[in-house]
Amino acid sequence: MVSREDLASRQAELLHALLARGPVPAGFDEARLHVEADVLRRKRTRLIAYLRPDLEEALGDRFAPLFAEFTAGQPKTDTIRTHAYADEFTTWLVDRGDLPRPKRRFPWRR
Amino acid sequence: MAELGIGIGWRDELDLSIARLPGVDWVEVVAENLHAEHLPETLETLRQRMPVLPHAVSLSLGGAEPLDTARVVHLAEVARALDAPLASDHVCFVRAGGLDSGHLLPVPRTREALDVLVANVRLTQSIVECEFALENIAAVLEWPDAELTEEQFLTELTERTGCKLIIDVANLYANARNLGTDPVKFLDGIPWERLAYVHMAGGVERGGVYHDTHAHPVVPEVLDLLAELRHRVEPPGVLLERDDDYPPDSELAAELAALRAAVKW
Repeated sequence: MVSREDLASRQAELLHALLARGPVPAGFDEARLHVEADVLRRKRTRLIAYLRPDLEEALGDRFAPLFAEFTAGQPKTDTIRTHAYADEFTTWLVDRGDLPRPKRRFPWRR
Repeated sequence: MAELGIGIGWRDELDLSIARLPGVDWVEVVAENLHAEHLPETLETLRQRMPVLPHAVSLSLGGAEPLDTARVVHLAEVARALDAPLASDHVCFVRAGGLDSGHLLPVPRTREALDVLVANVRLTQSIVECEFALENIAAVLEWPDAELTEEQFLTELTERTGCKLIIDVANLYANARNLGTDPVKFLDGIPWERLAYVHMAGGVERGGVYHDTHAHPVVPEVLDLLAELRHRVEPPGVLLERDDDYPPDSELAAELAALRAAVKW
């Protein structure tokens, strides 16, 4: 008999494998896991592109691979909204020099 | 004639199309995209003419962590604002261990996972004031050690909670293609008296895997499966989901007409 807590940790393990390149959980087909990870990444990439067409326009073909790199290292948590997650991606791009640092349009905002 | 008829998933991008498309009897809206306090004006107008049913994607009812009841309350508020007789989500989980998948993931088909789902659905039903339905998802991976088939899992779920079912025929096809399940056995095992309505959507094959994209036309095999379903039951409603790469109105109208033909309406 598996407890609800055990199931919760197995689900967490699976999400970690899918979103953050964690180890393949016992009993899962590794090839299928990669397919699912790809499905999730594509879905989120499209959503971020929809919310932030400026990023896709600025990065062109580099948009998808850069987002893939960002999201694997910093997967979306359940407390951050998607808009804020897109902002984190922007900050990450700026910090790496993949996007120019934006001019501060609202000097009263920090 | 069916209770709902032929419907289409309401999206911002389809807003104008839906108002002028012939043969749309009802719509379904993604609950998370709406606020009960300020519904889009066009949706308010549609609501005077046809049923508008909310469909949630983020309750994570198959998740073993405690249910996020704030999300259920939001669904209940949207359902009330729409005066909807039925609200729904999926047999899946989307959050665990602090992460958010952003997309529907399968749950293990075990007694344990079913118990968790049943408990979450009962709690949801105590918050949502209308009838509640659950939909089968498309999966590209499977948990090990399944104890039940998908149709057994869904049947027990309805028996234990009294919930209704949304059967997504495109998801059924995707699972047959990707996981090797037998769609006819699935159709034979579903308690059709619990059917709320049917979902239909398009997809595409990529790298040997069928992807349920909602961005391509409905493939003929999925229409054939709808006809197969129709041999067993007259569905109360059939809904087309299109979420991306929106085609011209004429193509959408043709897709709706094909659904109508498949169920002989």
